Amino acid sequence: MVTVKINGKEITVEDGTLILNAARDAGFEVPTFCYQADLIGIGSCRMCLVEIEGQKKLQPSCVTPVLHGMSINTESPTVVSARAGVLEFLLANHALDCPVCDKGGECELQDMVYRYGPHKGRHAEPKFKFHEKDYVLSPVIIKNSNRCVQCVKCVRVCREVVGANVLTSLNRGDHQEETSFLRSFLDCDQDGNCIEVCPVGCFMRLPYRYKTRPWDLKGADTVCPYCATGCRMVIEHRDGVVIRARAQLGVGLNSETLCARGRFGFDFINNPNRLTTPLVRKRGALEPASWEEAMGLIKKNFSVGGGKVGGIASPRLVNEELYLFQKLFRTVFNSPNIDSSSRWDPLAVESFVSAASMHEGGVSIFDCMASDTLLIIGSHLSDENPVTDYIVRRISANRRMNVIIASPRAMKLDSSATQLLRHLPGAEDSVLEAIILNLNYDKLPDETLKPVKDARLEALLSTAGALDKEIKAIARKLGASSTVAVIAGTDFLRAPQSIPALGLLKDLLRSRGKKVTVLPALDRCNQRGAWEMGVHPGFGPGYSRVDKKGLGCDGILAAAEQGELDALYIAGSDVASMYPDGEFAAKALSAVKFLVVQDIFLTETAKLAHVVLPGASFAEKEGIFTNQEGRAQIIRKLLPPPGKAKRDFDIIRAVGESFDPSFGPKNPVLVLDEIRKEAPMYGDVSLVFNNKKNIEDKLDNRAALVKGAQSAALKVSRIEPRADLGGAEQFPFRLVTGNHLFHSGMLSRMSSSMTGLLNAAVIEISEGDADALGLRNGDKVSVRGAACEAQMTLRTRKGSGKGMAFVAENFEDAPVARFFRRGKGAPRVAITKI
Amino acid sequence: MNGRTKGFNLLELIKKVVFTDFVKGLSITLGYNVSRSITQRYPDEEKWIPYRRWRGLHYLNRDAEGRELCVACELCSKACPTQCITVVPMEDDSGRGIADRVAKVWKVDLVRCLYCGYCEDACPTRAVRLGREYETACTDLASTVRRREELLVPQALAENIEGGVLVKSRLVRTPEGIKVEPDLRRHKKRSL
Repeated sequence: MVTVKINGKEITVEDGTLILNAARDAGFEVPTFCYQADLIGIGSCRMCLVEIEGQKKLQPSCVTPVLHGMSINTESPTVVSARAGVLEFLLANHALDCPVCDKGGECELQDMVYRYGPHKGRHAEPKFKFHEKDYVLSPVIIKNSNRCVQCVKCVRVCREVVGANVLTSLNRGDHQEETSFLRSFLDCDQDGNCIEVCPVGCFMRLPYRYKTRPWDLKGADTVCPYCATGCRMVIEHRDGVVIRARAQLGVGLNSETLCARGRFGFDFINNPNRLTTPLVRKRGALEPASWEEAMGLIKKNFSVGGGKVGGIASPRLVNEELYLFQKLFRTVFNSPNIDSSSRWDPLAVESFVSAASMHEGGVSIFDCMASDTLLIIGSHLSDENPVTDYIVRRISANRRMNVIIASPRAMKLDSSATQLLRHLPGAEDSVLEAIILNLNYDKLPDETLKPVKDARLEALLSTAGALDKEIKAIARKLGASSTVAVIAGTDFLRAPQSIPALGLLKDLLRSRGKKVTVLPALDRCNQRGAWEMGVHPGFGPGYSRVDKKGLGCDGILAAAEQGELDALYIAGSDVASMYPDGEFAAKALSAVKFLVVQDIFLTETAKLAHVVLPGASFAEKEGIFTNQEGRAQIIRKLLPPPGKAKRDFDIIRAVGESFDPSFGPKNPVLVLDEIRKEAPMYGDVSLVFNNKKNIEDKLDNRAALVKGAQSAALKVSRIEPRADLGGAEQFPFRLVTGNHLFHSGMLSRMSSSMTGLLNAAVIEISEGDADALGLRNGDKVSVRGAACEAQMTLRTRKGSGKGMAFVAENFEDAPVARFFRRGKGAPRVAITKI
Repeated sequence: MNGRTKGFNLLELIKKVVFTDFVKGLSITLGYNVSRSITQRYPDEEKWIPYRRWRGLHYLNRDAEGRELCVACELCSKACPTQCITVVPMEDDSGRGIADRVAKVWKVDLVRCLYCGYCEDACPTRAVRLGREYETACTDLASTVRRREELLVPQALAENIEGGVLVKSRLVRTPEGIKVEPDLRRHKKRSL
């Protein structure tokens, strides 16, 4: 601790504190452009100059640490005139086109000049201009360098946080321009974090361009509806059209960062194809109907008790709605047949929840990042959970820790890894078991270890496609660390035979006295919430035991195909597009005697329905999302639902009330009270939403983490791998699926910004494979599987594993679900040039 | 009205005999009879042309090349105390405006407007001005909202006309409504 005097006020701060932070702690304002808590300080803007007694020159406070006994002046006449001088220089070449600039009204330069500026320029010379017209960098980013204040935040955030390294500073002095080479964003993540950190109107959103002024916008605090990272953001609308989503510095775990989906993918809200009225099938076609008619049909066709009914709810609904949905089925319809995922087996989900210790309560990602070793496995984190990727990159760069990435595909985060492992797709089990074999496991006399003990390392290595020394290095690192964090992704759910190995590794490391945290990396915003609300055939709210286990999505569809299902209620889920084996799903859904689909778009599933109910998007309701860490976060309502559409909460409640008038609770607040009672994990979760700007780096709101469940009725089941579809000679590539960086499920397909970034399907293979086939990046190829054929654009990726082709599951023109066959393993494909 | 009223006052008596007060009053009345009339025969024969400082109906300016000066910065609508101005910007780099940001919508609700002129003070490009048009009475509420297209049409009184005069005018009745057509050549100073 050191004691310094700031403007005559004595303050004691930690060693190495920056003068800037010490002054702010003492309650003095120091203006900055280039300083940001989570970026490396460079002291380039000179706004934070302070006077240190005994030093002749003013010092930049954002890069100067305090020393004991320092006497610092932040308000002296020299400092004040220096600030004004800096601003005068900044304005010397500044375009001063505030009336045209999109940043006008929320511009830091405007505020600074208003507050500290000279209010009068003395430069009569013509201004230097980089260019006359703004230039478009990408379909979502436009740039005007004439407004730049050379704070270099954009370059730093691109390098240090996003890791894309697209931006750089060209030239020097006042000719320094922060841009990309050739002024084009060839390989950018398009996440727009450069826009968010830019203090002036230099980087701008193209979709937002010249649409409004910041003071016209009305905003609501919400959570991104795409992946389960749970980034806090504010969406803002003008005249009922949502035109901007922005992150806030120091708010939420993401602070100022968002990914492309979060920042630009909100415009599905105002898509003209939104459902605005209930539809009822009449004479074979869906026709607009009234709510009374639609509800009447539901009441007539859903049987209470007797018949077999099922329900599938989307993991994009809020907790209150999901809770009510499972309550509707379990108490009103007396049916345990509910599920929240169309892609994954309920048994796999239960095993995963147990293996990832999700029932033990929330795990903060900041805790994971404070561990000695971080193992990322089963997730293409950079594409599936980009902001989690940013957090890992940012924090791991600043402390000594091992970052181990085991993944079949190369990803952006690889550059942050201290140990990299390329394994074969779907072979996470072999990788983990090989690691376990290399750890000293003798102290765990457990039946569960038996299969691993029997396994032979060579066999495991060959199925994993990994090298012995890589596995040994990982095992050594895990063995040497006292705290281990594992980020386990959705590939475990895609290849459920790997789940026991995950649980085993966790138990083994724990038995050796290590602190092990597992963070599940999920790809739907409220997937964890859906499970914790009990929208699962095997467990109830708070992972509690249920009397009667039901059918999951797969079982429901199988029953439907046999003609045994009387009625199916699908809320927000596009089963027909997402179920792996699209043909089977379509056939099964058509065979359902009465299909109700509640959605915001007329999806492939809704087209098969007898009754379609228009629901509300995340901007049109209030509720709670639980992110992958188990952080419960409130979303707020911004707009009313369009047309006759209603909140999903009201629809589910109305369906329940039509059978049982006492069905309830009647409003979301009361539902939350009931959730707190029924699922004790949520009992004392604090939902106090702190939207205050927090310039320090305190992003971890621990009060929002859910607690552990007292009695979790979960067990890890050993799931036998499914037989491969075969045909390795004919189809040389194993198909790998997941989400694309710009798309998440089918929702982002309704956003014109996201389809503007990427509309048609792409297939990604390694560079080596492409060379062997004589294919090049950007070629049009035909992708042929045993069941399906589609045309796509080829992308090659350096460093990915061989014999594997990645196709995102988001594109209608390349329906990945149709490559799959029910009950079979991963399909194989052949790629030929068109 | 003190001690003197108690006694006899010859002067007062003479004033009463010759009706001094009456004549005084009558002379004012008769004076108006012979002086020039101050009644403005508006709208049938005359019309008041206001000074340039007058704050009447808004108009939007163009620059010398005919490009719109408005860059849709919305400062006018922000400055407006009654929120009667609505501006919606858009991008148009075809040269319609002086910048590539132009107004998609620029409308003012004249019923709400209190003609304070804050909008023209706020305007960074001197695009919006309060003109000298004051005949905004109408029977139809819809026509009290003036849009960009109408406001871009130059007003009848050019900026260089001094104003502050009464001019001969003519009341014209057309199927579209009535209007007063001033004849700017024949004007007189307003006598007060």
